[in-house]
Amino acid sequence: MGIKARKRLSLTISYIVLGLWSLILFFPIYWVVITSFKSQVDFAVKSRYLPFIDFQPTLNAWRYLFVERLNWFMTPFMNSLIVAFISSIIALVIGSMAGYALARFKFGRHNNSIVLGFMSQRMFPGALFILAFLVMFRELHLLDTRTALVIVYASGAVPFVVWVMRDFFETLPVEIEESAMIDGASRLRIIFRIAMPLAAPGLVAVFVLCLIGAWNEYLVALTLSFREAITIPLFMQMQVSTTGYTEWWNMSAIALVSVVPVMIAGMLLEKYITGGLTFGALKG
Amino acid sequence: MASDSTVMVPQKAQTRPKRHFEFELPDKTWRWILLLPAVIVVVVLLAIPILWTLYAAFTDLHLFRIGVPTSFVGLKNFDTLLHNSSFWRTVKNTVIFMLGVVPAQLIVGMGVALCLDNITRGRKFFRTWFLMPLMVSPVVVSFVVGRMLFAEDIGPVNEFLRFLGFKGIPWFTNSTWAMVMLMIVDVWQWSSFMILMLMAGLQGIPPDLHEAANVDGATAWQSFWRITMPLLVPILVTALLIRIIDAFKVVDIVMVLTGGGPGQATETVTLAIYRTGVKGGDLAFGSSQAYFLMIIMLVFGGAFLFMSRRALGRSD
Repeated sequence: MGIKARKRLSLTISYIVLGLWSLILFFPIYWVVITSFKSQVDFAVKSRYLPFIDFQPTLNAWRYLFVERLNWFMTPFMNSLIVAFISSIIALVIGSMAGYALARFKFGRHNNSIVLGFMSQRMFPGALFILAFLVMFRELHLLDTRTALVIVYASGAVPFVVWVMRDFFETLPVEIEESAMIDGASRLRIIFRIAMPLAAPGLVAVFVLCLIGAWNEYLVALTLSFREAITIPLFMQMQVSTTGYTEWWNMSAIALVSVVPVMIAGMLLEKYITGGLTFGALKG
Repeated sequence: MASDSTVMVPQKAQTRPKRHFEFELPDKTWRWILLLPAVIVVVVLLAIPILWTLYAAFTDLHLFRIGVPTSFVGLKNFDTLLHNSSFWRTVKNTVIFMLGVVPAQLIVGMGVALCLDNITRGRKFFRTWFLMPLMVSPVVVSFVVGRMLFAEDIGPVNEFLRFLGFKGIPWFTNSTWAMVMLMIVDVWQWSSFMILMLMAGLQGIPPDLHEAANVDGATAWQSFWRITMPLLVPILVTALLIRIIDAFKVVDIVMVLTGGGPGQATETVTLAIYRTGVKGGDLAFGSSQAYFLMIIMLVFGGAFLFMSRRALGRSD
């Protein structure tokens, strides 16, 4: 076999593998989408795979979700949205400040130990925290509130933000900041007018990753919320466990509404997200 | 933005009195102002709960017993724990889950990442698409995807197997298959992490190394083991360690897909902690379980790091 033929063969195999894995990833999504257009009769005897051929798609589930029961779904949706956004903003502000400090200033010789101290918190299993949080927020009378979730998610995300942003600030040239300082700019001005804008790609990536983490979190929400402050993952679980019989078409519509915005945001920002995910790990 | 602060500021500073928000503090003060909020948050909300849980593990603290003084019971909780066969079952389940999931993700991740590195056209598309599972909530994945696709009577997976001439698999009623199903769902979702990490690693390897090896007559196989692998090892170790830790923490897909069943066949340690500590209110026993999980994770993580370091030392 010549080099060219071998090259072509290896390319073909590569595309087959990639296509296969893409299909495996795609099928469940496809299934959720078509299920949201099904109705009860389509669940009898066998699965229906193709809309218009196997089954007649209806908008029942979507009408149910957005017209008939909008309020019922709006509560967890707004809870998730508010909790995710506020906790991510808090984590971003607090974490990037510390990240900047650890990248630009010397704390004796302890900069790396401080970062390691932050990161070690992420080693601990979530199960280690939920019991303490349960007692703590019960004492503070904050059980089943969005405040409790915001506090937990924000503090949980801070170490990650510190870790990634510190690395990110270190890759930015310090000369720009130094020349601004010679020109008499204050430290505050340097941070807000120079460092933060330059670090925008990193900040965006970290923010979206925090957002996704909070949006999808389950264990803590399950422990701290039960009626008023339930988030979407919790809400979905309740729909099944309480009835036993599940309206899969409605569930699929809910799943899509909760997943699609995050999915699109993540994939549009693919470059930054992949960077944020792998950045810290590559250095470690 | 940059020109604004580099050019304008000194002129203003000379002609006008300083505006009051331009207050100046020495860097020594600044570094603490910037760092302290994060430190306080982490200490109050992460370190103190960790220590509190450690304290609780040595007491008879109970969620629903209020007003009764708490007393220290020493190692009693851990003693009960070690003699509790149902707890050991959850430990076994968790370890089996980890041992099944991590190698599978490594194989998928390595295979797909190598293919991705091999192609040029469409790479961006695949990379973006492979990011998708990481964005989806595990609850949605296990619910809609797991419960629907693996449904025993009319789920597409079983229908496909029957189409191929096999029998349908009892995904939810058979202990072994229930565990396999959980592993499949986890591999579906988290292989992407491995792919992206390894892909980033492969991109960092200079292509002329492979070209030089090629000129010297190395086969693709040799080139992979002698050049790619050694350079990939640091990232590989990090990625695997992260996946090992995460696999030990698994709870959401278990809770939603099987609820730990059938029987106790798929109950993981974290699920057990949730059940005893949060549902049952036995904070003390739950805390001791949580610390036991921590110890298991440290042992496995440490062993993995030790072994990978030894393997590295040998290959050099």
